[in-house]
Amino acid sequence: MDTSAPSRRIALTVNDRPVDALIEPRELLLDFLRDRLGLTGAKRSCDVQVCGACTVLLDGQAVSACCTLAYEARGRQVTTIEGLAADGRLHPLQEAFAEHAAVQCGFCTPGMILTAVTLLQEVSSPTAAQVAAHLRGTLCRCTGYWKIIEAVVAAGRRGQEIEAWRPVGLP
Amino acid sequence: MLRPFEVHEPSTVADASRLLEHHGEDAAVYAGGTELIPVMRDGLAHYRHLVNLKTVPALDRITGEGDMVRVGALATHRAIERSPVVGARAPVLAQVAAGVANLRVRNVGTLGGNLCFAEPHSDPAVLLIAQNASIVLARDGGERRVNAEAFFEGILRTVRRPDEILVWVDVPALPPHSGAAYARFALHERPTAGVAVAVTLNGGAVTSARIAVGSVGPMPARVPEAEAALVGRDPDARALREAAALAGQAVEVLDDLYGSEDYKRHIVTVLAAKALDQAVARATRPTGPEH
Amino acid sequence: MAARRPPVTLPVPTVVGTAMRRVDAVEKVTGAARFTGDLIVPEMLHGRVLRSSSPHARIARLDVSAAARLAGVRAVLTGADLLSEGFAGTDPYYGHAIKDRPIVAIDRVRFAGEPVAAVAADDPATADEALLAIQVEYEDLPAVTTVQAALAAGAPRLHEGPLRPGLFHGLGELHREEGNICYHYHFARRDVARALAAADVVVEGEYTFPAVYQYAMEPHTVIAQWGTDGLTIWACCQHPYLVRAELAEMFGLSLSGVRVIVPYIGGGFGSKSYTKMEPITAALARKAGRPVRIVNRVDEAMVTTRRHNMTCSMRTAATRDGRVVARQCRIWLDTGAYADNGPRVAATAGDAAPGPYRWQAVDVDAWAIYTNTPPAGSYRGFGATHLQWIGESQIDALARKVGQDPLTFRQRNLLRPGEDVRPGGKPLDADLVGDVTKVAAAIGWGAPKPPLVGRGVGVGLLAAGAHPVSTAAIRLQVDGTAVLLVSTSELGQGARTVFTQIVAEELALPPDRIRVMGADTQFTPYDRSTGASRSTTLAGKAVQHAAADLRDQLVAIAGGTWGLPHASLGVRDAAVWHETERLSYPDLIRKHFGMAGGELIGRGEVRPQRGTGSYAEGPVFWEVCVGGAEVELDPETGQIRVRRLASVADVGKAINPQLVEAQDEGACLQGLGNALFEEMLFENGHIVNGSLLEYRVPTTADLPDEYRSILVENADGPGPYGAKGVGEGALAAVPAAIVNALADLGVEMRELPLTPERVWRRVRELGLQKSAQEG
Repeated sequence: MDTSAPSRRIALTVNDRPVDALIEPRELLLDFLRDRLGLTGAKRSCDVQVCGACTVLLDGQAVSACCTLAYEARGRQVTTIEGLAADGRLHPLQEAFAEHAAVQCGFCTPGMILTAVTLLQEVSSPTAAQVAAHLRGTLCRCTGYWKIIEAVVAAGRRGQEIEAWRPVGLP
Repeated sequence: MLRPFEVHEPSTVADASRLLEHHGEDAAVYAGGTELIPVMRDGLAHYRHLVNLKTVPALDRITGEGDMVRVGALATHRAIERSPVVGARAPVLAQVAAGVANLRVRNVGTLGGNLCFAEPHSDPAVLLIAQNASIVLARDGGERRVNAEAFFEGILRTVRRPDEILVWVDVPALPPHSGAAYARFALHERPTAGVAVAVTLNGGAVTSARIAVGSVGPMPARVPEAEAALVGRDPDARALREAAALAGQAVEVLDDLYGSEDYKRHIVTVLAAKALDQAVARATRPTGPEH
Repeated sequence: MAARRPPVTLPVPTVVGTAMRRVDAVEKVTGAARFTGDLIVPEMLHGRVLRSSSPHARIARLDVSAAARLAGVRAVLTGADLLSEGFAGTDPYYGHAIKDRPIVAIDRVRFAGEPVAAVAADDPATADEALLAIQVEYEDLPAVTTVQAALAAGAPRLHEGPLRPGLFHGLGELHREEGNICYHYHFARRDVARALAAADVVVEGEYTFPAVYQYAMEPHTVIAQWGTDGLTIWACCQHPYLVRAELAEMFGLSLSGVRVIVPYIGGGFGSKSYTKMEPITAALARKAGRPVRIVNRVDEAMVTTRRHNMTCSMRTAATRDGRVVARQCRIWLDTGAYADNGPRVAATAGDAAPGPYRWQAVDVDAWAIYTNTPPAGSYRGFGATHLQWIGESQIDALARKVGQDPLTFRQRNLLRPGEDVRPGGKPLDADLVGDVTKVAAAIGWGAPKPPLVGRGVGVGLLAAGAHPVSTAAIRLQVDGTAVLLVSTSELGQGARTVFTQIVAEELALPPDRIRVMGADTQFTPYDRSTGASRSTTLAGKAVQHAAADLRDQLVAIAGGTWGLPHASLGVRDAAVWHETERLSYPDLIRKHFGMAGGELIGRGEVRPQRGTGSYAEGPVFWEVCVGGAEVELDPETGQIRVRRLASVADVGKAINPQLVEAQDEGACLQGLGNALFEEMLFENGHIVNGSLLEYRVPTTADLPDEYRSILVENADGPGPYGAKGVGEGALAAVPAAIVNALADLGVEMRELPLTPERVWRRVRELGLQKSAQEG
């Protein structure tokens, strides 16, 4: 870090844990999470906000961390894939992805699951068409999407469990 | 890679404007950052001072003012998509907002940022022009109103002066017996072509037609030749086809990797026909003031 | 192979053939799975590469002094370093087929994007800053950025000097070719000119295929670290042993002095095959005296490797009663500035050109040509994907000319199992007639079609397996858990899971007692490569042999203990049994070593059964490329909507049917992208759509309304349980099926991808738009 560059202190919550850090305004949220906090689940791929591999939730909303300043997370809740499983129990979406072979190389998976989380927050039991529409801006190169859609629909059917899940970051 | 910069946090529009004036070319307005950050990261531009508009309260509000919708500059595409006020008074705007880029960009990207960046391959401006929206620009010492169709000057260029802040966009209600529609064609992340139409009928004839085309030329623009062909006529199938064809012929088109000129003109014609059909259908719906 | 063993009673398979959950699923869904870019090595520096802005130039001046002086910059590497004392004993050129590629440009750049210098710094931002401080001046040379220009008289020659064959092209003797020809492949059977002249019906055409970007979502990432005992590499590489061999040769190290570790790979698809960013990272680390990590951005990945673009002219002839007679084909592949896998792609394309039909005569020429564009190499299904849509569209055209249904025409002319596909090579080992019939049924062949809806099928073969060399070892511990050592890279295909299933089956061990280690050339034994759909078939076979070897050892210990012949013993539930008597694996190991320790090691090996396993003698198996598509055309915009899509996964035996289907589905969508919108656009050798904003890959919006992956299991593969590989066929079959579905509507296309504009233009050329409106 360039010590002569302007910096500021931010306080935020990441996966329910308080974080205090000195950042440069130009630091990107993706690098902050990966390099400073060791949360390497979010990945850098296209770098132009198209692929969704860098998706994290900011106050429950999906954002492209590759083009978001860490500064924007000040005072807010960040949820990464590492924050989804609670007490060793997988989130129903994680369980469904595993069950339905919706994971192949796994590089898109964290972003894909977090994006699906935002769908299930709003539509508890989405249809395949609704899932496909919601995931339209999140890319996968390995699976062809079918099993991903299947997994999200299946997870949605476990509706009550999703509702009972800690809605991290939601107002 | 992003080179170092400072982020300023004004609490009023006047403060923001003063910051822009003070730092001149070294300053940029920072809202959602969805266009700004990539451009800076790729080294295409650098600003040592970002003026964060999000610390100015109330710039993201969406309110109904009489029949009009006032959309704050910092309203995100997602907020516009879901706003009940927009849904009631300018539903086509909600539809357009729902189609911008992808959901992550819609969560963060703002209408004001979109308009000021003036990327040619974009949707919202096209509809705003068709619906005769006006854009309010403010600076320390006053504001001015610019009609949407006069706001754009060229590729990535608008009439906004460096110390002006776009604060809101006013979308007037459509007059009675009017309809609006937007049709787009996209193969990539950004659209190849978009046509927005707003028509008003009276006694079975078109009294007003606003046809705007975007993404094919350097900036979104109306096509007066196509509009003139409709005004005073019955909006029958032949009239609409002719107007659509004129739109395709008359619009300014750039050849780029989104398509050759002749194909784009053709697509504009196809989209214009579709949008005209929809707008006329909405205008002739029997119940109440429709959009 | 090992001597015949006495049979051991095995129960009916209970793990093989089931949709067992992936062993890496939890790691991946929790974000715990580590990819190369997630790893940190102590003292690691961050590397960035300065790339040429000219497609062909002499480097007139390269001044890195300002960059080297920046605070936090630890090393700058240039071509001059490679020739200096500091790199004495280093051969700066590499290339598994042809050693034509310098680690960084030396005096001359041959494509826009070629590495000219590399910087290692304390952090990525400083490294980026350093790149900006490097001063470089190019003296442009005439650039030949198309095949046509490269072959024209007087064209500048990209590579002079003697040919330096690489270690692993597998194509027999390589010859120095004329001008900018990198490689030439030719075969002919009988007299094609005479057969064409005598034929009743001939179709011919010229075809164009685009450059395509593999877009593995994880871009190339390498960490290199030098130590007193040699070089360690962490890389997302598909072929760690081939990379090891190249690095050892380049840097003058022994094979054991190079260690290649492969974490999870975020998609390979061939883009990470052979040697890519490893040499430059290693050289930079050596200069820096500290470990270095280099991560490509997507636009850099695009200039690191891509699919060959191609033009092709083909003529096919048949008799008037619908028998195919002859095919003649000439293929020009643009291999870019360096060979990479160009020769092999050319050979495979040439072999795919005829298609699996009963020809009387065939004549094929395929050339890989050097141009001043980024190098082209492997991408899933290469060769077959290039040619199948062309050959199959001519089959359809012939069928229409003789008034036959294209499916019937194929059923009559396709080869049957056991027939020769190419002379001297492996005969056909798949029921193609059965496959195409199934796929046609899946898309509703023969049923009435709505207006503007067409149907098409595509049939082809891909020479799969590459070189059949693989070894595996299993270490059975005294607590009954096993560690499987095998060097297949996990790209997402599920290799670790399939191998677990094989070991679980062969050793009657619960799957959760089996750990599969990732590839690490220090510990996991030799496997030639991960690609060419070979891992289940070949590495899996080695794994199966290793498990059988272990089983034999366990049975021998039990037999010795009980004084019983081995043939009377069986394995079940992690134990050896004789009737109701049992000795568990822990028991047996304790007995063998006399303590609660020691381990048994099972060993398995696969090597060529006849001859040398060369390309010409193979392939190991023919991968089936069969697909069908029903499409709807919008003649107004040229957009194609795929209503139904079907593909065949003809795998002999599906060790994990869910993973087979997953691979087929993914391949289908990549094939769909290649068919409908993927193309890299160049202007004077520069990529103009070098980002995902302008390079379009399939999204959920592109999914067909209906899709079926049809599993066919005829136990006709050389792999475990009769298995053979899958995962590439659909890339070749889907474009062919879609092209034919459009042809069914009278819209014959000779250029991919079938963008709306291209289709619209063709519809207008053919004057079809009016009839579409009236129809």
